[in-house]
Amino acid sequence: MGRTSMRILLLLATALLVLAAAGCGGDDDDGDGGEGATGGELVFAGASDPVVLDGALVSDGESLRPIDQMFEGLVSLAPGSTEIIPALAESWEANADGTAWTFRLRENVTFHDGEPFNAEAVCFNFDRWYNFKGPFQLESATYYWQTVFGGFSDGEEPSLYESCEATDESTVVINLTKASSSFLGALALTNFTFASPQALQEFGADEGTVDEETGFKPTGTYGTEHPTGTGPFRFVSWTRGDRLVLERYEDYWGEKAKLDRLIFRPISDNAARLQALQAGDIQGYDLVEPQDIETIEGDENLQVLDRPPFNVAYVGINQKMAPMNRLEVRQAIAHGLDRQSVVDNFYAGRGEVAKAFMPPSLEGYADDVMEYEYDPEKSKELLRQAGLTLPVRIDFWYPTDVSRPYMPDPKRNFEAFAASLNKAGFQVTPHSAPWSPDYLGRAQEGTAGHLHLLGWTGDYGDPDNFIGTFFQTETGQFGFNNPELFDLLNRAETETDQAARIGLYEDANRMIMEFLPGVPYAHTEPALAFTANVTGYTPSPVSLEPFSTVSME
Amino acid sequence: MLRFVVRRLLLLVPILVGLSLLVFLWIRALPGGPAQALLGERATAESIEQIEEQYGLDKPIHLQYFTYVSKIAQGDLGTSVTTRRPVVDELQQRFPATIELALAAMLFSITLGIPLGFIAAKRYGGAVDHGSLVLSLIGISIPVFFLAILLKYVFAVQLGLLPTVGRISATIDLEHPTNFYVLDALIAGDMEALWDTLTHMVLPAIALGSIPLAVIARITRAAVLDVQNEDYVRTARAKGLAPRVVDVRHIFRNAMLPIVTIIGLQVGLLLSGAVLTETVFAWPGMGTWLVDAIEQRNYPVLQAGILFVAVVFVLVNLLVDISYALINPRIRVS
Amino acid sequence: MSIAEAEARELQLEAPSGLWNEAWRRLRRNPGAIIGFVLVATFVTCALFAPLIAPEDPRVGDLARLEGSCCPGPSAEHIFGVDQQGRDVFSRVIYGARYSLLIGVVSVAVGLSIGMIIGAIAGYFGGWVDTLLMRLMDIMLSIPGLLLAIGIVAALGPGLVQIMVAVGVTQIPIFARLLRGSILAAREADYVLAARSVGVPRRAILSSHLLPNAISPVIVQGTLALATAIIEVAGLGFLGLGPQDPSTPEWGTMLTDTTRYLQTAPHLALIPGFAIVISVLGFNLIGDGLREALDPRFRGRA
Repeated sequence: MGRTSMRILLLLATALLVLAAAGCGGDDDDGDGGEGATGGELVFAGASDPVVLDGALVSDGESLRPIDQMFEGLVSLAPGSTEIIPALAESWEANADGTAWTFRLRENVTFHDGEPFNAEAVCFNFDRWYNFKGPFQLESATYYWQTVFGGFSDGEEPSLYESCEATDESTVVINLTKASSSFLGALALTNFTFASPQALQEFGADEGTVDEETGFKPTGTYGTEHPTGTGPFRFVSWTRGDRLVLERYEDYWGEKAKLDRLIFRPISDNAARLQALQAGDIQGYDLVEPQDIETIEGDENLQVLDRPPFNVAYVGINQKMAPMNRLEVRQAIAHGLDRQSVVDNFYAGRGEVAKAFMPPSLEGYADDVMEYEYDPEKSKELLRQAGLTLPVRIDFWYPTDVSRPYMPDPKRNFEAFAASLNKAGFQVTPHSAPWSPDYLGRAQEGTAGHLHLLGWTGDYGDPDNFIGTFFQTETGQFGFNNPELFDLLNRAETETDQAARIGLYEDANRMIMEFLPGVPYAHTEPALAFTANVTGYTPSPVSLEPFSTVSME
Repeated sequence: MLRFVVRRLLLLVPILVGLSLLVFLWIRALPGGPAQALLGERATAESIEQIEEQYGLDKPIHLQYFTYVSKIAQGDLGTSVTTRRPVVDELQQRFPATIELALAAMLFSITLGIPLGFIAAKRYGGAVDHGSLVLSLIGISIPVFFLAILLKYVFAVQLGLLPTVGRISATIDLEHPTNFYVLDALIAGDMEALWDTLTHMVLPAIALGSIPLAVIARITRAAVLDVQNEDYVRTARAKGLAPRVVDVRHIFRNAMLPIVTIIGLQVGLLLSGAVLTETVFAWPGMGTWLVDAIEQRNYPVLQAGILFVAVVFVLVNLLVDISYALINPRIRVS
Repeated sequence: MSIAEAEARELQLEAPSGLWNEAWRRLRRNPGAIIGFVLVATFVTCALFAPLIAPEDPRVGDLARLEGSCCPGPSAEHIFGVDQQGRDVFSRVIYGARYSLLIGVVSVAVGLSIGMIIGAIAGYFGGWVDTLLMRLMDIMLSIPGLLLAIGIVAALGPGLVQIMVAVGVTQIPIFARLLRGSILAAREADYVLAARSVGVPRRAILSSHLLPNAISPVIVQGTLALATAIIEVAGLGFLGLGPQDPSTPEWGTMLTDTTRYLQTAPHLALIPGFAIVISVLGFNLIGDGLREALDPRFRGRA
């Protein structure tokens, strides 16, 4: 018996050792990736599949990315910036009161189905968007139309859009109901790119049935099998959940795409994306995690590209939850958050501590806002001044199952913040919920405790897209009513004189950081990773990145 | 025999009704709502109401259940809330993926497990016996996702021998008439695609098959040990039959009974394990589909998916029972 | 006391005791079971005396210990390295034993007690009660275990207690079926028929004769279920349904958080992973040993 038990023990030990040895294969990684890509075919991994390939009906980045390669709008943004440049319109001008915009269109442009691009096609698309009905009016479908233009032709909500006139083959006039300072910039959004009217009709882009139990069902095949634009790439095939294949459009009006084929693959797992890149299954991916950057940079077959910072991560405070309505308590929170440590340690050197709720690159940013350095003793003092007994119990929420450019690992940020608040006279009770729909729902309704983690990535280069979105009206999320601040932001939005407008936004930033509706903590540079042989990719702050200039050596 | 099958089929009815009711009620007990899931980051109270009306979520609950059952009976599983595609379409892609993986895992565990258990029993107390005992014990003690991570880390990341994720390389073009990629590759006669999809399958199949392998090896060993000492085996040996003939004709055939049963019982384990294995290897099957659906509160997918998995599970168990009855006539009577 | 009652009392005493003595003797001779006891004893010790063994507070870290954006591996100062919040991994693994064992024991207790009640009722009363309860168990068994547990946690929300309940519930049908089967078999056994014939009351037969004899497979299954429970809990944690407080040093959750650092800091995933494997192995070894010791068919062999 003794011998048998010895033998089993030895076997057990050996087996465990083998497993352990296999597991601890060392940290050094002499990358063997980089092969597999031949000729001009690039495989890029996103985090999920596109919803549908119809720019008018989507608002998520994974749908917008491929749409952006196949479609073009009147204007576009210069590579790597938020500066507006001509695209399908060669030039434009507005009338004196800013309500009629005349665009001169580029000539000899054809859609992928051979149909001509002209003024009629532009108006056809605008009329399509303006006349959306029923389920198409849901925010999930037409969020950007509603953000930029307001309502639809049914008149239930006022609309900024009035009409579109094709004065001749290559001149189009867009009439607005009032002046707007953000109209032109918004036209660069991928949501306002042009589809072939012929294809839209032939493949039933607007067809669907609405039945009582299951809701809206698309019956047309336009957005899934026949997306037809004017861009440098054209659609080949889409296998849901597996791959979307595009190829070079040979009759493109401008400089033709360098790649023969461009393939998008959904890989939802972060680590899986990195491993696929190392193995050579893919040549690029988005949303690189900070802790992987070192690995990628250490691998000579791979490279990291950074997006300019155009986001903000913040700790939201709900003032409906006592004692958060007291300024001293909010100040104590701000002094109790060790923001520097979080940014230094968790963002791989690709973030800076945020002083305000919008990125410094935007006009209207004020550098001289109130600042709150990490000082736990001061927090305790402020809390005692407020007449509270320490520790002050607070509920703090964080999301799970999500990685955002401004918050790659929310739980990690949360743990560090909770630990630093616990040292500053608070006692944190942690709560979590899956990002969508539970967490976002709670944050917006104001049922996510005293504090919650959230952030924002800009859609276009305007301060209104940041602080206007957050603080222009009373919201469930922040739970305060500050007429002075609301009024200031309203004035800033409608001001047409650019210099005056900037001044108003600077004032608003100062007022916000004194009032402390929340504590901004990071602006980050989200990273993309590619194999080393990929060149010509220019990261953009708003993630509008053309693949047509990309090539592989 | 026919009566036995008919009776077992009739027993399915209350189980299926109970299941559909259970799944239906459970989904209503979840916090949050599907409308919020559809609208996500930019939801408003108004748009939530609109969605609830469209999806019939504002009606009395018994009416919702009634329409739900009658739709299923017509083969209409609804529309996925997130992708806006018919659930049936997605099911047609997801289900073959999981079945293909499960079959590969089963193949791995059976072809290895039965011989291993058989040899272990024949050499009772020897090195192979002890070794397989230890290995199978470790096998059932490793969480399937941890094993998956280990395999991926060693063979895909560190050694770079096998692909890390997915079912097939993005660079390969293949038509998918059946969505069983191995079959698809054979139909197309594309050997490169066949090889590629097989290499993608190796690690997930091993990870998923390791627990069934351990269990099958143990049961085979125990069953062979039991049968070996039966009178008819001794008689056969005494008659002077060649050892191999005794092994195959008497021992193996009689040991099959518990082995078949245990293989049938592994189906549930495989489906549970698939949820975790698919997550690690980004395998686009039922597991990742359902986990995503839970996160996103994708009611139509959840209802259909869980119900479908359960029905498949019940049917497989029925098949096991029937094959059991075929092998062992005594069962039919009771 | 009537003669019949006296005889009944005697029968009650006689049924179980001999079995247990012999089982214990055989168990002590089983090397696998002894290894199992050693492993489990180690973990119970860690769980009970964690504050004495662990050098640091498992919940409090120091971000200054991090290098680059993550975590230095094993060193003289931190033998299992440091985690992503700058905490000592060794301390966390030791404290983790507390949570994993607690969750395992509570969830098995939930499944076992409810399952036994259902099984006993079904087995003893038979008839339509039996049919109804067993159909219900069939329905529960027709949903794969992990999916059922995920479903329950999804409905209750994530958290330690919820996980215990979810994993416990998935184990109910197994125990219910097991106990019912044993009782059905034992009901017709000679000593029960004998007890009944001398007029022992129904309740006394159930509690003194049927249950004790049906219990040995339940004990075996209970030990194995502990192993399953630890794995299932870790699985739920891996899918992000773990404890609300992320600083909780629970093995499954520790493993989940750290798989994303597998490339840069593999020790974060490997160490809690092996802790799970070793403790599960311990319970499996004991469970196997018990099965062999208690199963009459194995008597001649061990």
